[in-house]
Amino acid sequence: MTVPETILEASALRREFVTKRPLFGAPTLVRAVDGVDLKIHRGETFSIVGESGCGKSTLARLLVRLIEPTEGAVRYAGRNIADIPEAEMRRLRRDLQFIFQDPFSSLNPRMTVGALLEEPMQVHGLGSGTKRKAQVAKLLARVGLPSDSADRYPHEFSGGQRQRIGIARALASGPKVLIGDEPVSALDVSIQAQVLNILEDLKAEFGLTLIVIAHDLAVVRHMSDRVAVMYLGEIVETAAVETLFSAPQHPYTAALIAAILVPKVGVRRAHTALQGDPPNPIDLPSGCRFHPRCPHATEICRTTRPVLSPRSGGGAVACHHADTLHLKGLENAEAGLSAKAAARMELYRAARARADGGGAAATTPQ
Amino acid sequence: MNAPLLDVRGLSIRIDGTERDLVEDVSFTLNAGETLCIVGESGCGKSLTALALMGLLSTPPLRITGGTAAFQGADLMRLPRTALQDLRGDRIGMIFQEPMSSLNPTMRIGDQIAEAVERHKGVSTAEARKRALDMLRRVGIPAPEQRMAAYPHNLSGGMRQRVMIAMALANDPALILADEPTTALDVTIQAQVLDLMKTLQAESASAMILITHDLGVVAEMADKVAVMYAGRIVEIGPAAAIFDDPQHPYTIALMSSMPAYGARTDRLVTIPGVVPQAARMPAGCRFAPRCPFVTDVCTDMPPDTTVAAGHSVGCWHAPLEALPEERISA
Repeated sequence: MTVPETILEASALRREFVTKRPLFGAPTLVRAVDGVDLKIHRGETFSIVGESGCGKSTLARLLVRLIEPTEGAVRYAGRNIADIPEAEMRRLRRDLQFIFQDPFSSLNPRMTVGALLEEPMQVHGLGSGTKRKAQVAKLLARVGLPSDSADRYPHEFSGGQRQRIGIARALASGPKVLIGDEPVSALDVSIQAQVLNILEDLKAEFGLTLIVIAHDLAVVRHMSDRVAVMYLGEIVETAAVETLFSAPQHPYTAALIAAILVPKVGVRRAHTALQGDPPNPIDLPSGCRFHPRCPHATEICRTTRPVLSPRSGGGAVACHHADTLHLKGLENAEAGLSAKAAARMELYRAARARADGGGAAATTPQ
Repeated sequence: MNAPLLDVRGLSIRIDGTERDLVEDVSFTLNAGETLCIVGESGCGKSLTALALMGLLSTPPLRITGGTAAFQGADLMRLPRTALQDLRGDRIGMIFQEPMSSLNPTMRIGDQIAEAVERHKGVSTAEARKRALDMLRRVGIPAPEQRMAAYPHNLSGGMRQRVMIAMALANDPALILADEPTTALDVTIQAQVLDLMKTLQAESASAMILITHDLGVVAEMADKVAVMYAGRIVEIGPAAAIFDDPQHPYTIALMSSMPAYGARTDRLVTIPGVVPQAARMPAGCRFAPRCPFVTDVCTDMPPDTTVAAGHSVGCWHAPLEALPEERISA
């Protein structure tokens, strides 16, 4: 097996935020990201999942230096980007682009779509006026927006279309790595499917590396190659997507998988839901941070913090009991589908493909 | 057979100055203890339908252009404002999506729940507070005695939604209207809250209308399902029938676009285009412009066809397998 090339690497990455700075005494700190190590391979889709407040968005911002780390390093193509001077960092940002969650607040409402897409090219000094205009038209077509969109303003577009604009803008500088912070979670299911398909097409076409922050495990399962699960600032498990879903080794991963609502009547077991809320990140539990909510916790979990260690079957897990627990993975939703429903979904798929006249047009809106 | 608890017939809503109804001819019945899920995407009219039932539409610009809603011997569409105020929070409990903006930020949660009890049951403040404490305990808020004095901002999102549920259920309503109650919550918390709603509903035998865009939530909660598209119910039936025998192309498309189905490597099936705007609503079937099975007949509004007991669909081409081969294959 060939060793995959690492494009982006975080080591011992930490970021603290001051939440309260009293006149006297020590300020209150939140450790949003607390000692994260990870390697992202060139050309893969790497997802980071976890619940609100687990630090996944902070981690995403650290990875492209939208914020500075308190400690630790992020290496892009072998260089620590935290040490790169600002002027050079600006050149590097061509390679590392971000897609934001909310397509309503991340586009300047006073700029036309054309200007929004041209701006990154101007900033990076790419092309001349006419070339840029041509590039804008190309980008719009690529994300399936009508060509007259360039002269219109963001408010004239629906949520899904705005997210396409956000993606086109991220692509404008010709990036190598695209980081999406919940890129589809604000969208309706059918629109979400359109945007996910576009991301997959673009990734293949431009050889992008995709890092996706998400909380919806069904989406993660669909689009990722590898997944990292975060809990209270730490990575508790990483694995290839199939391994993670079929044989989770961290109880938190298993709990997230068990909470997936399968669209099939009468499938979900009653009351195995994880109890309690995630604890306050200001006042972290001792030992394993998950132990107050973990059904398998023992004495060692209360006292000793587990380290992320290689797990059987590939990946890594931070749990004292990973080897002895046999946790349940995802049951196949497809198996629950009736023959009638499956047949009609196949009819729809075929009719859709016929109406769209082939693969590429499948993402083009009317 | 007993009359249903709620019988909605032909409910239509329009925005002033437009020609077509935003919500058109919505009809369904709900029996005591039953859960009806109304599922659909943004702009399908599911929330408007719920607001209309509670008498909470902003009129103007919105206006009810037709229909009745029989609830415990009264027509909700024709009740005077004061009578509706008496019903809301008492016989009809409400749970909204965003608990932070639906709770009063300046009032302690114990007082907020007690206020609802006092207003409708005419009991003493002490008694109302006792009921509030009891409700906080029932919805699983830890240390409820202390939490009575907490403000909404002191609580997590999941805990705030539990407070909303406690308030909605404090007066043992016959009907609960829940509009996307778990959409703003994390997945593990969503599972907890859904479990809680189910348990409490079973205890009180309340009926529930649950509005959601998530077919996973529907499968978890529904006895009956109404699929809405662009203001119309396109398919309605028992939950098992909707999932096992989906008839309308839109229902099937919604199921197909869910990443939960299908092999991981498959391309997701999409519904191209967007929901039509009120002003540009197509004359016949409203899904026709986005439907791959569309034919000339679709320019006429399809009648509701009964598929099985309680299961009906509004599509000229259902069931799809009856279509001639050349209409579907490439």
